[in-house]
Amino acid sequence: MLANINVLLLDYALGSLKRQGGKSIFIFLVLCLLIFLLASVLMIADAIKFELNTTLKTLPQITLQRFVAGRQTNVSVERVDTILALNGVERAIPRVWGYYYFKPAGVNFSIVGIDAYEEPYKKRLSELTRTFDLSTLEKEGGMIVGEGVQNVLRENYYSDFFNFITPKGERYPLKIAGVFHSDIALESNDLMLVPKQAAYTIFGMPPEEATDIVVHVSNPVEIPTIVQKITERYPDLRAITQDDLRISYQNIFDYKSGFFLSLFIVCVFAFFIVIYDKASGLSSEERREIGILKALGWRMSDIVHAKFYESFVMALSAFLTGFCAALFFVYVLQAPLLRSVFIGYSELKPPFRLPFSVDVKMIVLLFFLSVPVYIAATLIPSWKAASLDADEVMR
Amino acid sequence: MICLHHVCKRFAQGDEAIEALKDVSLEIAQGECVVLRGASGSGKSTLLSLIAGLAQPSSGEIRVLDREISKLPEHLSALFRRAHIGFIFQKFHLIPGLNVEENVIAPLIPANLPLHVLHEKARIKMEALHIDSKAKRDVKRLSGGEQQRVAIARALINDPVLILADEPTANLDAKLSAELIEHLYMLKQSGVTLLIATHDPLFFDLDFVDRIVELKNGRIV
Amino acid sequence: MSLTPEIIALLLLDAVFLLFGGIAFVLSAGIAWRWRSNETTELQYALHRRSYLVSVIINYIFMLKIPLFAFFIYTCDKLSAIITGAMCASGVVNSVDFGLYLTLFKIVNLYVFGFWLLLNDADMNDEKLPFTRLKFILFILFFIPLCVEIGLEIGFFTSLNVSKIVSCCGTLFSASSTSSISLLFSVDEKIWMMIFYGCFALSVAAYASRSPLASVVSNLLLALFALIALILFFSPYVYELPTHHCPFCLLQKEYFYVGYLLYALLFSGTFYAAAGGVLDLVQKRYTKRFYRLSLFFNTVYVIGISLYPLSYYLRNGVWL
Repeated sequence: MLANINVLLLDYALGSLKRQGGKSIFIFLVLCLLIFLLASVLMIADAIKFELNTTLKTLPQITLQRFVAGRQTNVSVERVDTILALNGVERAIPRVWGYYYFKPAGVNFSIVGIDAYEEPYKKRLSELTRTFDLSTLEKEGGMIVGEGVQNVLRENYYSDFFNFITPKGERYPLKIAGVFHSDIALESNDLMLVPKQAAYTIFGMPPEEATDIVVHVSNPVEIPTIVQKITERYPDLRAITQDDLRISYQNIFDYKSGFFLSLFIVCVFAFFIVIYDKASGLSSEERREIGILKALGWRMSDIVHAKFYESFVMALSAFLTGFCAALFFVYVLQAPLLRSVFIGYSELKPPFRLPFSVDVKMIVLLFFLSVPVYIAATLIPSWKAASLDADEVMR
Repeated sequence: MICLHHVCKRFAQGDEAIEALKDVSLEIAQGECVVLRGASGSGKSTLLSLIAGLAQPSSGEIRVLDREISKLPEHLSALFRRAHIGFIFQKFHLIPGLNVEENVIAPLIPANLPLHVLHEKARIKMEALHIDSKAKRDVKRLSGGEQQRVAIARALINDPVLILADEPTANLDAKLSAELIEHLYMLKQSGVTLLIATHDPLFFDLDFVDRIVELKNGRIV
Repeated sequence: MSLTPEIIALLLLDAVFLLFGGIAFVLSAGIAWRWRSNETTELQYALHRRSYLVSVIINYIFMLKIPLFAFFIYTCDKLSAIITGAMCASGVVNSVDFGLYLTLFKIVNLYVFGFWLLLNDADMNDEKLPFTRLKFILFILFFIPLCVEIGLEIGFFTSLNVSKIVSCCGTLFSASSTSSISLLFSVDEKIWMMIFYGCFALSVAAYASRSPLASVVSNLLLALFALIALILFFSPYVYELPTHHCPFCLLQKEYFYVGYLLYALLFSGTFYAAAGGVLDLVQKRYTKRFYRLSLFFNTVYVIGISLYPLSYYLRNGVWL
């Protein structure tokens, strides 16, 4: 197999694939389907990971949450000043945010309180609100929503304002003062920016508390030290860093695709046996052909070579077909059915498009998971075929 | 050229051993045309297989072109066939699904020769046998005579010094048989050694046959 | 244990290798036991066919192992993004005690199986099949490092701990490291550089003297000292950082994946001379082709790696 490619032998192998007709097509289809499933799952996982990573980058360096009895509760705003006093802390901002369940559409909106006199706690937010005058927003009782949110509201006949229901059961109308566009689908589809005051009212929270505190550190290397200092001072605060989130997301997705792959390996095993069986069963014409060729001066290695070309061409073409079908299924059709395996919260979150993210690494990975396994399954049957007795044609 | 020395061949069939060849010794000179005569089951085909290196004798020694073919490992005996031996089978044994040219070059496909060399070789043989106009046609769509000529062209593609024919006229009508004998005659003229296994009486009184060897129950009589 | 798709792919192929290697092992044992090269019985005929199956299997394993080795390093490189502290594959490889041994076993196995295939070729081209018994006894022996490698690989991936903090290559390949590598740093890197060029000169001399034995020895020395010189002397020029000595970062995108090319050249160059030389010693002959290939690859490697310090000197007027 070290030798260079023999074009005529390749041509012969292609011809013999064609002559096997139905058997070739059957194997091709099964192989395509397997590769297609595998490629789709890996692509969906990668795309969601990509989307989340983009979102993660916009998250604060440290988020402080207060836990009482193992449950997250509001944190007192006073603590902000103590944290600001720590060396290395550049900014500490109390946040007011939460989810608002909108029953008619069955979706959760994320409501984030913003304040005209406070610097927004993340860059993305200031980008989003740059075009809007926040002080007038406060005066007029307005809010800014994402494009996706606007669509949901409009479907429910709220075209210029929206009635929130406070925990006390009162109506609290806010004008839709503006709409923003975001590349990050998760942001655009569920984010509502409301004045801080309004957020307190909607959630029914006392004004001396905040949902959590985000901390900015001038030197990212110091993050662990500062986290340590804060948690020493306030043992009931839990600090979540950007890195923690990134690693846990990566783990979840590797775990989920790993779980799927483990199932896939069971399929591969079954497939292996099917191929072995199919490749072992030679028709009498094939046996006769091999006998003739051996009598004409073909070595065993020539026949194995031809069979190797056959399985390589078969595996490679099925690989390419399955891969392209998966590209189409995931990125054009947006992976109906399959994506819900990965988006556990898809019922509550508004939908988003899967961003395109395919790299060489994935192609190599898919290749290793499919082509060598198929070829392995045909190794022994090829050898068996090649070692048929040639003098059978003489009898 | 060919030298068999006390060759025996036994097959195991079920529990009993069948002795297909019993102590066969034979010598064939360069350029000779020898007919192996015998009823079916007399061991003719077995003898051809052994000479071609397709099977190994149970005992004895076979030399072809001064190489001890009976001792060659399988892959080397295949190379030996590819280099020196041409085969004409019973019922031609063409490969269905391949066209005429592909069938003709079939013995040399694994040799990985440059394409133009191979096409040139094929062209010469096909022209000599007047099948060059049908080069791209599927062999299934050829007449019996044409199929026969393809088989002969295939046997000649490697310019063999020895041609082995196994029942070449079985299942052929009189006209085709006569045509085949004509081709064999021309081969004999060109100096090729011919060994023809047959029980067809047509071969028994031909001028160019140098010798008739009769096989009966695996023995030369 | 973290089941990334890459790890599952590697483990799946390991299972395939183990299965087929096992089949080849059983067949080899049978052939080595019953092979009689001067007999021509049906049994020998059948054994010969089986021996061909073994060579097909080994060919398959070897052909896959070459790209898989690159894929393994690549996977480690990718894992370095998850494991805290690791900056490149070396941190991941060294995060498990035997990681470095695993890598070494992988390289050794490539040499060993490559040699087996050369021996197989030589055997099949001789009508007496002189090495059939030898090659199957050898395969029985070579099967052990293969199993060790697969075992280590499974162990490696199961004991990888995502939350453990590991050292990055900057500390692993430095004088302050506690490993045996730090010992090498106690010698001036210029000396290593000179030994490396000396070994290359030796291998050229061996080529000129047409001695297989000298070629084998000089090329094995060259492989060893080329790696040491790469870590101690050449790598800082590639990275243009005087303290960066990592042999793995070469494989990263920032350096245009140049490491894959350099290692391929070095390994194939030394392989042809070493394995071909051993084969020639066994057969008592001289096959020029092996040494010519080896000389070609080695020379390209030496020129390639030398260009880094040279171009650095030409641009900056100083040595690092």
